[in-house]
Amino acid sequence: MSIEIRHIGKRFGSFVALDDINLSIPTGELVALLGPSGCGKTTLLRIIAGMETPDQGEIFFAGAETTHLHARERQVGFVFQHYALFRHMTVFENVAFGLRVKPRAERPAEAEIRRRVMALLGLVQLDWLSDRYPSQLSGGQRQRIALARALAVEPKVLLLDEPFGALDTQVRKELRRWLRRLHDDMHISSVFVTHDQEEALEVADRVVVMNHGRIEQIGSPDEVYSNPASPFVYQFLGNVNVFHSRQQGAYAEVERGESLENSPGQATAFVRPHDIEITHQPADGALAATIVHVHPIGPVVRVELQHASEIVEVELSRERHEALQLTVGQPVWFRPRQMRVFDVSQPPRPAAEKQAFLF
Amino acid sequence: MRGKLCKKINRKYPNHQNRFQISLCNLMSIKSRRVLPGFGLALGYTLAYLSLLILLPLGGLILKASELGFGQILDIALGERSLAAFRVTFVASFLAAGVNALFGLIVAWMLVRYTFPGKRLVDALVDLPFALPTAVAGITLATLYAGNGWLGRYLEPLGFKVAYTPAGIVVALTFITLPFVVRTLQPVIEDIETEVEEAAASLGASRFQTFGRIIFPALLPALLTGFTLAFARALGEFGSVIFIAGNLPLVSEIVPLLIIAKLEQYDVLGATALAVVMLAISFGLLLTINLLQWWTANRHKNAGGGKP
Amino acid sequence: MKSTRATEEPAWVRRALLTAGLGFLFFFLVLPLAAVFTEALAQGWGLYAAALKEPETLSAIGLTVLIAVVALPFNIAFGVAAAWAVAKFDFKGKSLLLTLIDLPFAVSPVVAGLVFILLFGAQGAFGPWLSAHEIKIIFALPGMILATLFISFPFIARELIPLMQAQGKEEEEAAVSLGASGWQMFWRVTLPNIKWGLLYGVILANARAMGEFGAVSVVSGHIRGETNTLPLHVEILYNEYNAVGAFAAASVLALLALVTLAAKTIVEWRMKKETAMLAATLAPEKT
Repeated sequence: MSIEIRHIGKRFGSFVALDDINLSIPTGELVALLGPSGCGKTTLLRIIAGMETPDQGEIFFAGAETTHLHARERQVGFVFQHYALFRHMTVFENVAFGLRVKPRAERPAEAEIRRRVMALLGLVQLDWLSDRYPSQLSGGQRQRIALARALAVEPKVLLLDEPFGALDTQVRKELRRWLRRLHDDMHISSVFVTHDQEEALEVADRVVVMNHGRIEQIGSPDEVYSNPASPFVYQFLGNVNVFHSRQQGAYAEVERGESLENSPGQATAFVRPHDIEITHQPADGALAATIVHVHPIGPVVRVELQHASEIVEVELSRERHEALQLTVGQPVWFRPRQMRVFDVSQPPRPAAEKQAFLF
Repeated sequence: MRGKLCKKINRKYPNHQNRFQISLCNLMSIKSRRVLPGFGLALGYTLAYLSLLILLPLGGLILKASELGFGQILDIALGERSLAAFRVTFVASFLAAGVNALFGLIVAWMLVRYTFPGKRLVDALVDLPFALPTAVAGITLATLYAGNGWLGRYLEPLGFKVAYTPAGIVVALTFITLPFVVRTLQPVIEDIETEVEEAAASLGASRFQTFGRIIFPALLPALLTGFTLAFARALGEFGSVIFIAGNLPLVSEIVPLLIIAKLEQYDVLGATALAVVMLAISFGLLLTINLLQWWTANRHKNAGGGKP
Repeated sequence: MKSTRATEEPAWVRRALLTAGLGFLFFFLVLPLAAVFTEALAQGWGLYAAALKEPETLSAIGLTVLIAVVALPFNIAFGVAAAWAVAKFDFKGKSLLLTLIDLPFAVSPVVAGLVFILLFGAQGAFGPWLSAHEIKIIFALPGMILATLFISFPFIARELIPLMQAQGKEEEEAAVSLGASGWQMFWRVTLPNIKWGLLYGVILANARAMGEFGAVSVVSGHIRGETNTLPLHVEILYNEYNAVGAFAAASVLALLALVTLAAKTIVEWRMKKETAMLAATLAPEKT
């Protein structure tokens, strides 16, 4: 079932949680709402689920307006951040709940309920826990039970609020992959909220980056990472070096090369740490710097350079680092292979150029 | 840590019942617990106070009752007048606690979940029966429900005679025990995560189904605790009841009043026998309340959504 | 179109519950409270004032205050000591001790009075010895104070124990490790932390002590002008069909109840505010 969100706005007192949100989710897509806490992503999810009413705007499920439909009539599966399992019911009864509360005419027979619940528990690989109570389960198990419970009513849409937020890293990674597989099997539209960029990029078909109640960018994981639409997206997804003032290093070059006639207003250049090249010799457009720190971190080596008054972060592969033989205090030259410049006076639109190979 | 060390020592020398070592371990474990001063003084004072004020008098009661023996106590308690008094006391207390369980649930729900003008005032007023001396409650309720009272005036023509009947006892006990259910339920209702209700709604449950299957089971232990507290208090209540009950032996005489009546007739042993039975019931109810509270606190302890 | 939120009842249910709840409270709380003052003033202010100025009423008020004032320090000392031992230390038999502290809540006031008669009454265990030494406990002030202590002592302890348990003992341990003596630790660290809880307990214990009827009634002997507290005096006047007198005395107690409720509510707000403040300042940094 497709979801269409039109001009949704929501305020809590004077706080604008959502400001004119437009989003369309085609059937079968797995969408991540990504953003920092307080950006409105959870509010948007709750509005889709019918747990919050928007101040303005409409929501359409498969083309039909559902804005004012009660949560229980939306056929939405909702998985809560802290699972919200019914603590006085066994795992089996938790999953069966949605079937048992159906009106008598639609309620499946007891045997059918049993069959479907056990099938779902099998799907989440926890059928052996059906007699336990939620308090006897680990966090990851609770999460999977919460998911099975949401799926029991055969929802047209699956909504997940920070589904892996409360779990530790190991379990989180496993569940992520598992959710992706499950989604591909069930083929229903799913929306999940996360503040973890890695999670969004790894699991989702499409990522919706949100900030301050607005959508900053919608795109595939690759698009939002390698082609961020705004400084915010650039900074939120991955590490980045920011060059502010026009007097300083890289930016002076930018201004000379690109936007002289455009505007003398403030602009900012963004360079990913792994997009910076370090050399021992001065090269065309390269800037001088001194090495401050060298940290090998797993597969990469993180190098901090001191350029004028700024610290520049660079990520090198181990091979490249071994070839360069960098030591602390050494003078070197660096230049970006790739960078983006945004005009600060018009934040949402990239200024002038798309890809800047300047220097 | 020290406990571990002790275990280690004991494991290392399992056959060495070395006195010194054992006493050292005990000493260390005691020291680790008693970093703060004043334990001896505080516990000593507490125990002395409890002994003088509770244990000695109750011991005296039991000693006196032992002059009678179990069979005689039972005979007195099951005598016609006593039995009738016990029946009136229990039935009235049960009904009062029941009325309070129902309305207490409504009031607690309303005070936590709804907003209405004067809510804080109403919330504060709920404790009135705890603060108002029982004698005042007694004469006031008797006056209200008497034939010419504000309420009796309308009730008696309809055939409801409240004052000076067993129904009056129920009214007085309902007033006296009103705060118990409300006050036990309020924090529990506050603690219900709305997420759980939302989960039920998103799974298609109607509001009534959510209440019946999710909310009510969560409230049940607290509701039972509140009910038992109210019941226990009602059983022993004296001051408010005697004014409105009519105190007719076999009809509207409660056990505490019968104890006093026996005392005034210098039947100390009879009074003692009834008092011991009441005390045993109090103990039983106290135990039930403790068990219920333990149940409330420990049932599915780290359940549902609690963050690790 | 107004939609109901997922966690709300339909509007008609909400209205029905509010009506039932508020109606119940109106009939059981507001109406009796209003009746006390109406009845007291039924014959006008003049008779009301005259009823209050009766010497027996005045002496009953005096005795009530005296008993409450004498009982208070004992109750405070017990409450603090018991809470200190229970909340900050582990020892065997703690739950038994807690049950004993709860006992007066469950015991009928009449039984509470009776036990003292059995001990100190003329036929009681210590009766002969007491009368030989001409010490009067039953039907006299000491017995009434004992009965009052019996039924009012748990309040402060019950208030302080959970409070002190929640606060843990780290602050006290820090004080001791910084070299504070026991009393310094108590006055400078413990007491400031529990002062509102203590006050709350004092308010409740005091209300109970001043209003107690059953237990005091059994041991008092109802000697007018001598062993008659205000609640007992209410009974005597009422049984003499002196409605104005009875309700005038009752109105004093009802006022006391209202003051108790107000003080209790204020202390509750203060406590809530302080815990909120503490939670805000001591909360671990969010990452």
